[in-house]
This record gives sequence, C-alpha cells and structure tokens, in this order.
Amino acid sequence: MNCLEFRRELNIHPQSNDADFVAHARACPRCAQAQADALAFEATLGRALAIPPPSNLAESILLAQATQQRRERRRWASGAGWLTLAAAAVLAVGVGWRVTRAQPLGDAAIAHMLGAEAPALAMTAPIAAGDVRKAFAKRGVDLAQVPADISYVQCCPVGKFKSVHMVMPRATGPVTVMYLVDDKGGARADFAHAGWIGRSVPMAHGTLVMIGHDASQFAQIEQEWQSTLQASTHI
Amino acid sequence: MATDGSKSVVSSKQRQFDALVRGLSGDLYRYAYWLCGEDALAHDLVQETFLRAWRSLDSLRDTASAKAWLITILRREHARLYERKTPQFADVDDVDIADERETHTPESVGEDGLIRAAMQRLDAKYREPLLMQVLGGFSCEEIARELNITPAAVMTQVFRARQKLKGMLAGDVKEAQLS
Repeated sequence: MNCLEFRRELNIHPQSNDADFVAHARACPRCAQAQADALAFEATLGRALAIPPPSNLAESILLAQATQQRRERRRWASGAGWLTLAAAAVLAVGVGWRVTRAQPLGDAAIAHMLGAEAPALAMTAPIAAGDVRKAFAKRGVDLAQVPADISYVQCCPVGKFKSVHMVMPRATGPVTVMYLVDDKGGARADFAHAGWIGRSVPMAHGTLVMIGHDASQFAQIEQEWQSTLQASTHI
Repeated sequence: MATDGSKSVVSSKQRQFDALVRGLSGDLYRYAYWLCGEDALAHDLVQETFLRAWRSLDSLRDTASAKAWLITILRREHARLYERKTPQFADVDDVDIADERETHTPESVGEDGLIRAAMQRLDAKYREPLLMQVLGGFSCEEIARELNITPAAVMTQVFRARQKLKGMLAGDVKEAQLS
C-alpha cells in the first residue's frame, strides 16, 4: 500500500484494521499523523451527530403501540361475527383440497407482500445478481444462473415457510415472486385475494408463488425459474 | 392450555418489542433526525417505524440484523413522507444543544455546532451513507444493499462526504476567525 492508497482508505474506513493499512501507518510517519488527525475528526463527528433523543421517546412509542393494539382488538372483535359467516361461506363452497390448500398459502403470501415490504412493489431498478444469489444461498440453494430484471430480494418467512421474496417488474405491473424452499407438499393452483391474483407451482424442492394483477406474465416467469432451479444445487 | 400457549407467545413478542424500543429507539431517532432535519418529525418517523415493525415483528428472525431492519423501515417511512412534503432543516442556530452543556466544554459545543451545520449543508447523497457508517456502524456492503447501489459507489460517497465536510469546516473556521 502506498501513501495515496492509504489516504484513500483513510477517508473511507478511518478505523480500518486491514494489515496493509496498519503496516503502512507504522512505516510512514506522515500517514500516521494523518491517521491520528482522521481518528480525532471521527471522534468529533460521532459526538456531533449524537443528538440526544427526547427523554420519553421509548415510553411514547410503547404507549402508541399499546393504544393501537387495543384499537385493533376492538375492531377485530366487532368484525369477528362477519368473519365467521365469511369462513362458513368459503367452506360451503367446498371446491376441493386443491383450492383449500392453495388459498391459505395464497392469502399468507399476499398478506406478506402487502405488509412491511409493500414499498418493494414500487421498485423498478434491477438489483445485482449477486444479491439474489446471496439470498438463495441463505436458503440453501446455490443458483446456477439468475433471471434478469429482479428489483427486490429479501429472505422472509411466509406463514410457516422460509421463502426468498422477490419483485420482478413487468410492463403491466410488478410480479411478486416467492420461492418457498421447504414447501414440498403443494400442487399447482391459482388463487385470488384482496384484488390480487396468484399462482403456486411446485418447483424443485419447494414451491414458486407468483402474485400480480396480470396472470399472463406468470408463464414466462415460471419457465425462467423452472430452468434456473432445475440447474441449481439444493443443499 | 391453548390459551396459556398463545398468551406466552404474545408476551414474548411484546418483550422482544419492548427490548427493541428501549435498545434502539435512540439510535433510530438520531438517524431520523439527520435524515429529516426536524426533531418533531424525527420523533414521528421513529414512532411510525416501530408501529410498523410491531406489525411484522414475526419476520425478524435474526436479532443481530434488527437495527438494519428498522432502518430499512424508517427509510421507507421517510420516503413516503418525502413524497408528500419537502422537510426543511432547522437553522443551525436553532439546533438544541442544551442537553449537552453539562457534559461538553464550550469549545467542543462550538465545534459540534459547526459540524452539525456542515452536515446539514451536505448533499443527501453524501450525508446518508456517512450517517449509516458513523451512526449505524454499517459496512460499505451493508450500506450498498440498503441504498441499492454498489459497494464501490458507497466508498466513493463516504470518501467525498468526509472531504466535503472537512472542506466546509475549514471554510467555517476561516469565516469565524475573520468575523
């Protein structure tokens, strides 16, 4: 490492413990002085940024949470009668195992999609293939290749299943794609909930779930993931 | 038995939430403050972040990543807010440093004030990665994932952020000496 490289690293990672970095500081008195100045600046910067939070911050958050919870419980109680009727109606339809199994999975997947990660639906910029690989690796899948145009990836639980949650923007709107790595018991099925339509497809060692507003996009996405996951290693 | 089981699940979730709030609300507040520049707005942002976090707490599996998870939620909340209004930074003279007067010397309070003013003038593009590094303790790779840019871009931005900050501070000191 030369002086120029040291100064660059110093402005990026002032507290670096990299062996070359430390060795250069030991060998070059001018860079060692620059490092001492930089560390002093970091200490001042850290102190200046440490704005004290309001003294009752934690209590006010916990109070807001308790209030919200009570409000939700009250709302839930008043809606429970209607929910019981609705549940009875769904059971009365009795469309067979395929639908009854797909619907809870679909409901859980759609509820998850519309939860805290809902803003991901608006993401359109493609993310690095490496991030997708990393997410699948966390779930024990070493991807052979990465399909193009993925704008979001996150490892999340969907109901009781471990999933890789992705968004694939299409011209007609975003398609949420979730690969449930440990769901081997499903059958191919379509579902709908809260104005969204979806499809679950058994794939490799798990199930691929696609959710969007335009089902015509599902076939191509399914094909891409089918060939990707077939060629991938499942640990 | 079922009731006891569900009760204990609820209380353990509540205990986890309490611990998150007590352990991380201060860090989140500081981050929110430097993101939006207003203390009241920062308070609201942190509160809304934790309320959202409560609703999806079951998705948090790794407690080590709790801070990053909360910051992701906070940034989204801020982005939503930013769509509706452009927050204004308070004038540097209004920055409240009263709580620190007991623990810092007048010289250091003055120095902190100059740095705070310089941070407020720093372009958000540079300010945010620097905040994540200095306040959040995140690595360049973690910042890159959060900001959806490459680690190389993060390195460039934190490098320039420090250079710009030091440049502004040098100018401020000269100005202070002349006046």
